[in-house]
Amino acid sequence: MAITNLPKPPKIHRIPQPKFIDAIRWLSSPSPFQKSFITSLYDSDFHTPSLEIHSLDPSKTLTTALFSWTPPSRISSLKSTPSLFAASTFLGSLHIFKTPEEMSVLGNDMSDLGSKTSDMEPVVSVVGREFHVGSVGGVDLMEGGSECVSVGEDGRVNLVDERGDFRRVFDGNGLVSYSAVKWASPSEFVTGGCGFGLQWWDHRKSGAAVAQFKGNWDHGTTSGIIHSIDIHPSRKHTCLAGGSSGTVFAWDLRRQQEPIILSSIGSSDTMTHPLSESEVWEVQYDCYTKSLNSNISSSRILPAMICSEDGILAVIGQGEEPTELLAEPCAINSFDIDCQNPSDVICSLEWESIVILSRP
Amino acid sequence: MPDVAADSAASASGGALVPFVPDTEIAVVYPLHHGLKPPITRVSISWARGNNLRVSLLRNPPYNSDSDGEIGGKVVEVNLDSGAADVREPVQWRRIAYGSVTPFALLQSRKNSASSLSKLQSSPSPFHLDWWEHVMEYSKDIKELLGNPKSNYDPLIEDPKEVLKKGEEPTSLKAAWELMEMFYADKLCQSWLPERLVDWLADYDCLLSGDQPTVHSKLVEFQGTLVTLQVIEDDPKYWEVISSALAIGWLEIVVKLLRLHGSYQLDQLGHRETENGLVETVAVLISMMPRFRPELKNGKLGECFEAKPDFMKAWEKWREQITKLDSSAFWVPCHHRQTREGLKNLIQIMLGNTKILCTATAHWIELYISHFLFIRPFTAGLEGMYNLAQKCVQMKPMSSPHKLLQLIIGIIGENTEVVLAECSRGFGPWMVAHAIELLTARSDQADILLHKEHDDIGGISMEELHRLVYAQVLTSHFLTWQIAPVYLTSCMKQGMSLLEFLLYRQPAQHNQLLLKNLEICRLYELDHVSSNIMKIAGVYHWKHGRKGLGVFWLQQARDEFLLNKIARHLFDSVGKSISSESFKQWEGLIELLGSESKPAGSLEFLHKYRDFKKSLQQACDKKTLDAARHAADSLMSLMKNPSTPQRFWLPLLYDSLTLLTWSGRPLLNVSQTNLLLNKLQELSMASVRPGFVATDLPAEALNSVRLALATNLGRAILEEQ
Repeated sequence: MAITNLPKPPKIHRIPQPKFIDAIRWLSSPSPFQKSFITSLYDSDFHTPSLEIHSLDPSKTLTTALFSWTPPSRISSLKSTPSLFAASTFLGSLHIFKTPEEMSVLGNDMSDLGSKTSDMEPVVSVVGREFHVGSVGGVDLMEGGSECVSVGEDGRVNLVDERGDFRRVFDGNGLVSYSAVKWASPSEFVTGGCGFGLQWWDHRKSGAAVAQFKGNWDHGTTSGIIHSIDIHPSRKHTCLAGGSSGTVFAWDLRRQQEPIILSSIGSSDTMTHPLSESEVWEVQYDCYTKSLNSNISSSRILPAMICSEDGILAVIGQGEEPTELLAEPCAINSFDIDCQNPSDVICSLEWESIVILSRP
Repeated sequence: MPDVAADSAASASGGALVPFVPDTEIAVVYPLHHGLKPPITRVSISWARGNNLRVSLLRNPPYNSDSDGEIGGKVVEVNLDSGAADVREPVQWRRIAYGSVTPFALLQSRKNSASSLSKLQSSPSPFHLDWWEHVMEYSKDIKELLGNPKSNYDPLIEDPKEVLKKGEEPTSLKAAWELMEMFYADKLCQSWLPERLVDWLADYDCLLSGDQPTVHSKLVEFQGTLVTLQVIEDDPKYWEVISSALAIGWLEIVVKLLRLHGSYQLDQLGHRETENGLVETVAVLISMMPRFRPELKNGKLGECFEAKPDFMKAWEKWREQITKLDSSAFWVPCHHRQTREGLKNLIQIMLGNTKILCTATAHWIELYISHFLFIRPFTAGLEGMYNLAQKCVQMKPMSSPHKLLQLIIGIIGENTEVVLAECSRGFGPWMVAHAIELLTARSDQADILLHKEHDDIGGISMEELHRLVYAQVLTSHFLTWQIAPVYLTSCMKQGMSLLEFLLYRQPAQHNQLLLKNLEICRLYELDHVSSNIMKIAGVYHWKHGRKGLGVFWLQQARDEFLLNKIARHLFDSVGKSISSESFKQWEGLIELLGSESKPAGSLEFLHKYRDFKKSLQQACDKKTLDAARHAADSLMSLMKNPSTPQRFWLPLLYDSLTLLTWSGRPLLNVSQTNLLLNKLQELSMASVRPGFVATDLPAEALNSVRLALATNLGRAILEEQ
């Protein structure tokens, strides 16, 4: 694949980990030289999950665990904002933490940390069968706010506030299952699930989704599960989704029944030949890559980064050749773009390692 | 009859092909961390996943209620480690397993394309000539993995008294791999194998010091005392260490040690001039030693000669110089006894004095190397090397055989089976599965042996057997099972069926794992396996109350039979009549069923029913003829459709009373009305049969529908006339 709009390849640092990495997120940090990230790990030898905050040394070759917490089961979804991060588990619980930066604002002295790992505790924990039954498919924290939305395989959509009380927006009773969720505005969010279904919700109107998207996937084999959703803060009407069979598409609320396909197998359009044919585990808008076309109309989809089961990390744009950043022999299960310094990307690989990319 | 008994006993022991010697001295103790209070009454042991033992420990149940609050027992798993002893960490093993996938897969694909190319060309292909180069590339990638990443630092200021440099921490796995590489794959070093072994021992001598001392361990020990020594040349240890290091060709260490000699010190140089001259001469002679090899690594001493005649000439000249020095007159004025004797000893070593070489070395392999260096630099051919090795082993017998040395003997003994057995015993299944590629790189004989199909093990070859064994190890761990398919698919006979078995065995609970599983099916085109896995997942989710996911997976698997079956259950939970309120919950599931491309079985009804409900709602709201007609059409298509369950007939008709009694004009024509009446008739006949599901509609529902239909029929007849 031709690397078209990158003059230099990114710097790649591989850091092997002794455990399997379920999810990984950057944490915002006060200084660009002291980066830290949060990762949910699973120790296969002792069958214990853990949620850890690591600091990254400036050479990006070494990580040190600063904080650690043992969740009741493996982490299914992890999201972070500058002040909070939320983790959901396979057993249906949700845990919200303050970020270390926020903790130090509250009086904790961070200076003596570094040599040993200390414990951290969630500020909010929601557990129990009333909340979710079975695995929580996705969580999302409202940017700047404190409300957290969680969706599950059991078809429930819950809103958790900062005191730990939760409100049921919808109960699908297992007739539907959700696997991804993303806030669109302080009152709206989008969920995704089986059959490439997307639902637009307004929590002021509980009981049903405001809008349903069910694409006409007449190619037969291309139906699948949505794994990840992203919404750009400047284009709240468009929702980007990635899922099975290498499918990445955008759903514009203003043109509800036509998905804008960015990548998929079976699409006849030569411009969007499939980048990957396997699961797209995560999608995020990539504000670092500038679109080649200068006329950026509001209907045009901004460049997005994806990672896939067949080991590809790439940036795709509407009607453009994809740019491959990494091609690994194993799956890339999750990635995160640093929102403070978007040239830095962190990803977790199936083979128990972390890769950090610094784009030129 | 005592005779017969004695005879059978004799034949039983004498008839055994291989005498079985249990490894009694290698008893390994695995500590258990169970944290239970002492009286443990029962212990049961069983195999767990992979190389783990599951130990269940039970205490006596407490007799009285006010027990000590202790738990009654615990189950712990013990990992019995296998493979190389110095790669104990499972993490490290997994890293090697992950890293070797790509080189292995690349080599296999090259092998496949090469063999298909040679089939096309029919003539002996040129690939055979450079195949070993591909194998060497593979070997280089693997070697990189086996190194120890921890150490390797360069101090900025060199310590003049540091004799032994600390480099990468060696592992016996890498040592074994290098042995296999130099003997089997690397074509370039075949002419200077003895010198190659000298290099090998320089890197890995430290691994051999277990219960027996080695030159390396002597040097380490001496290094420790070096700082405290005042007059170094008075210490017999000093001379002993120098001669040992010289015997195995560590020339730069010898020269460095010699230059620590006291006569080099400025205040002593005056009255020890002759002595210093002798020391320096020996040091120079040592550093000029001719070596029969193409090149030397940086910092190593000696002069290289690639061509045999050149080397011979240099060797003779060098020996001449040594002999001259030995008989020189300068020894007489040298008054320092230890120096004189020590230097004489070094000269004897360089002249190849067998007795002195034997005392200078510790292990037989060190003696062996010293033979190559100072007695028989032209040893060529594995037979000669093997004979020499036998001689050395006799002179220095080992108390307990070291696995690396066993491997060397197997290799130079040219016994492929022994090599395989030693690899497997000493270094585990990973080593065998990957080292086979080295074994077959240049040797046709090993190639035939390893690819011969054996009927007693299911018609598979040794190569396949060892790959299967390794794949089995990989599948026993939930992080490495995903790479097992790479090895299984390289097994022609049994691989695919075992792969299918492996895929079926994976848990179906978590969608993410399931999708990874399906991805493997897609890569290896195992469509029937993937559809079965999806069925398993579908039934699993259905049973656990996640009906949507269940239907989704069954749809993906295109399993109409199961979909029809669960449809019947689903209609039960839909209720006997679907109220528009409860329909909101069904919306998501119905959306899922909507995709035309996937079969939904009887569940298709739900989708049609929803559409009908919607159009009925519109007809009631808008009260336009078009909307009403549309609703009537979808009612008819529902009633005609054989997949519409009978129990829904009456509720459907009852719901559409407004359509049947549409003011203005009838919406259904005569034949349509007749069809509906027939259905109604059929329904009342069925109601007397057993197994009929009654609806919870009001009692007069049937009558009102019948009346409405009759009215409609009347109006339709009138209209059609």
